[in-house]
Amino acid sequence: MVSVAVARPLVSVFSVEGEGTEGEVALPTVFTAPIRSDVVRSVHTRMALNKRQPYAVSSKAGMQSSAESWGTGRAVARIPRVPGGGTHRAGQGAFGNMCRGGRRFAPTKIWRRWHRKITKNEKRYAVASALAASALTSLVLARGHRIERVSEVPLVVGDQAQTLKKTKSAVALLEKIGAYEDVVKVKESKKLRAGKGKLRNRRYTQRRGPLIIYEKDEGIVKAFRNLPGVELCRVDSLNLLQLAPGGHLGRFCIWTKSAFQKLDEIFGTFTQPSQQKKDYTLPKSILTNCDIGRIINSDEVQSVLRPKVVRKRISIRKKNPLKNKNEMFKLNPYSRVLLKEAREATSKPSQKKQKRLMRRKNKEVKKIGREYYKSIVA
Amino acid sequence: MTETASSTKVPETVLKRKALREKIKAKRLQEAAKLKKQRKERRKEIFKRAEQYVKEYREKERAEIEARRRAKAEKKFYVPAGAKVAFVIRIRGINGVDPRTRKILQLLRLRQIHNGVFVKVNKATMQMLHRVEPYIAYGYPNLKSVRELIYKRGFVKIGKRGAWSRIPITDNRLIEDVLGKYGIICVEDMIHEIYTCGRHFKKVNRFLWPFKLNSPRGGFSRHGKRRHFIEGGEFGNREHLIDRLIKKMI
Repeated sequence: MVSVAVARPLVSVFSVEGEGTEGEVALPTVFTAPIRSDVVRSVHTRMALNKRQPYAVSSKAGMQSSAESWGTGRAVARIPRVPGGGTHRAGQGAFGNMCRGGRRFAPTKIWRRWHRKITKNEKRYAVASALAASALTSLVLARGHRIERVSEVPLVVGDQAQTLKKTKSAVALLEKIGAYEDVVKVKESKKLRAGKGKLRNRRYTQRRGPLIIYEKDEGIVKAFRNLPGVELCRVDSLNLLQLAPGGHLGRFCIWTKSAFQKLDEIFGTFTQPSQQKKDYTLPKSILTNCDIGRIINSDEVQSVLRPKVVRKRISIRKKNPLKNKNEMFKLNPYSRVLLKEAREATSKPSQKKQKRLMRRKNKEVKKIGREYYKSIVA
Repeated sequence: MTETASSTKVPETVLKRKALREKIKAKRLQEAAKLKKQRKERRKEIFKRAEQYVKEYREKERAEIEARRRAKAEKKFYVPAGAKVAFVIRIRGINGVDPRTRKILQLLRLRQIHNGVFVKVNKATMQMLHRVEPYIAYGYPNLKSVRELIYKRGFVKIGKRGAWSRIPITDNRLIEDVLGKYGIICVEDMIHEIYTCGRHFKKVNRFLWPFKLNSPRGGFSRHGKRRHFIEGGEFGNREHLIDRLIKKMI
């Protein structure tokens, strides 16, 4: 989302007669509304229900008999049976859903809730989102439109297009701006519908082509309406079912210049309310800066973070200090002294020490012996 | 991002990160050095105290013996000081306990069979113990029992209300963190406080989780839990003979 402070980008207007462009228009703010595919989808599914015609089974079907149950004791099931005699029909079961000629289970009623109310604001939100999506080439391409030859999206065409009278000139215009491929795509996609729809006056299916949005009909509708897939729409009454067919964002829209310029009046900006819709300003997105990574790594955030807390495990496996000397020493540093004392108290001096003592003793004994010998010899 | 060859330009965020990390590291090393020094001093202190306690216990023992001998020599009687600390073991299970006994055992923190706790000996506690006598075996432990209990079966209560944990005594720091303000910084201090029933007996005792003992090796006596120790059973006050039971159960 582009912030409001930035100057609006310019969109070139393609001339109907002659080559190239005939000027530039500022991009209306609607095209920077938040793109909420969830809102569009939910509104679209509800809106699409509103064109339905009620269907129901006849309320009298299966109930037009005076059948009564024979009750118990007649060795027959207790289902209501047709009274009378003389025909096959007499005594046959009636009314039940399991009976031949009976009414069905849960007969469909016309007072089923066919239509859905959608709040005005929600509808407007969805349209704004759909328009914003139509300005992104990736979304339009993803929806399947053939706009490879189109040089700019949103595609705006001079007001002369509104005065076109012939389909021939309409085709010429589309070819000039590179939009005819989308029409060709539609033409080639016409197939028999799969399923029962083909018996129900929906025999063929085809793709959707470009949506042409105009301000005033001075012949444009008649010029374009016979082209397969092309739909026309007045800018004052934009239809979500056309802007996001199937609930999918990114319809390829072709605008006339006056229609394009009227959008700011119809939808307003983020700060200025709309002039046509009462008490309406464009929805604002929750995040102005969607780059979470950058936010987290920014100075403002990093400078107030505390250092990472390393959670130490407070309890480790317990070792028995009475058996494990190291564990005992860890808890009681005096224990080594006590151990040493204990060892010295109970045991004889170690082998080495014994040897040393022995050797010393021997040395002394030998010394005495030697001196005695000397004294004798002397 | 980073260009090779002579001029290597590093993005500013990377440099900032590096500087921050180094600052944190320097701080951490400083803290670590300070802690190391502290701990070294602590170790010395603990050594001194342990030494002092060993001396104290030995002196006490000798003093006892001397006093007895003197009394015998003078044809007098030596009355040893009454015990200050008792060790109480719950020897009966939790089923079919009457409410009053149940409550008292709860107050003594004996909620499970073969749980043991130290209890200060005074009129109040003795009366409590008397009331629950058929459920407990208790007596006056000697130093060895106290040491062994705390070293082998010592767990402490760490946490806060509603979130207590039973943590094994694996480090003196656990003790110091909680009882440091009473001057008790190591296991030997705890043992001393318990054995000699010091000023902070209650705090140290509460810090210790009730001891979970084994069932006695070799079993209880023939009449077992049904009779008082005096009658050849197991429950009740067995004074200095509690050490034997502890040895079997530790």
